[in-house]
Amino acid sequence: MNSTELAELFRSDFFLSKLSANTKEKVMEELVQPLVNIGVVKSKRLVLDTLSKRETLGSTGIGKGVAVPHCRTLAVSDVHVVIGISQNGVDYDAVDQKKVNLFFLIVAPPHESSNLYLPVLGKIVELVRDGKMRKAMTCASDFGAFIQIVKGNDQ
Amino acid sequence: MTRSQLELLVLYQDVDLMLLEAEEEEKKMGFGMEGREKLQKACDELAKNIEPRFLRSYQRLHTRYKRPIAPVQNNVCLGCFAKLPTSYGERGRNDQTIFTCENCGRILYWIE
Repeated sequence: MNSTELAELFRSDFFLSKLSANTKEKVMEELVQPLVNIGVVKSKRLVLDTLSKRETLGSTGIGKGVAVPHCRTLAVSDVHVVIGISQNGVDYDAVDQKKVNLFFLIVAPPHESSNLYLPVLGKIVELVRDGKMRKAMTCASDFGAFIQIVKGNDQ
Repeated sequence: MTRSQLELLVLYQDVDLMLLEAEEEEKKMGFGMEGREKLQKACDELAKNIEPRFLRSYQRLHTRYKRPIAPVQNNVCLGCFAKLPTSYGERGRNDQTIFTCENCGRILYWIE
């Protein structure tokens, strides 16, 4: 998967440029809410429970201000990515114990025929490992700017 | 079967699959897996809240299928793609009864 293909999965209504939550639990809720609003989640509680169980396995706060909470759950029927930016940062129990500013929530069904979940997860992890890219994404003012930054990675 | 029991079963399956996939795939991407035992314990605790007859049914199906609970979309079991009886429709979404696919036997979960 290249960055342009990844960017095509992003949606403006799943882009939260000003997260207000300040705890791990609350930020998860804030990130899931757009999916609930648009009706692509059967049960919000189920998604939050599954995400929380995934955190038991190991924090998805991968360090350097980035977290990628993700799970497969029967509560959704397609792969969805919600992007969130927190100006103040969130205590997320990240591996480096630093506050997290940039979030990518990924949810996917277990029976996904498009087989996008792992490639999407892998591509996001690859992108945020690049310091310049990470900084630019965190500072993106709106969805259009964010998409251009991601697509620009292919050039 | 109450909705919450069905949700518990679905969560149980999600966690069960997570334990498999995370170790196989996500570890390669650099995600920490230090909490595997803790998650296994949480999964066992979860199982205690599921009525034994439903859990037995799930485990029996698990010997045949990787995912014993199948989503239903457009009245089709997405486990085997068999069309479900029309009468399942509303009852499947709202009833307190366990529904299984007449063709493959999987537990059904309406996702719409």
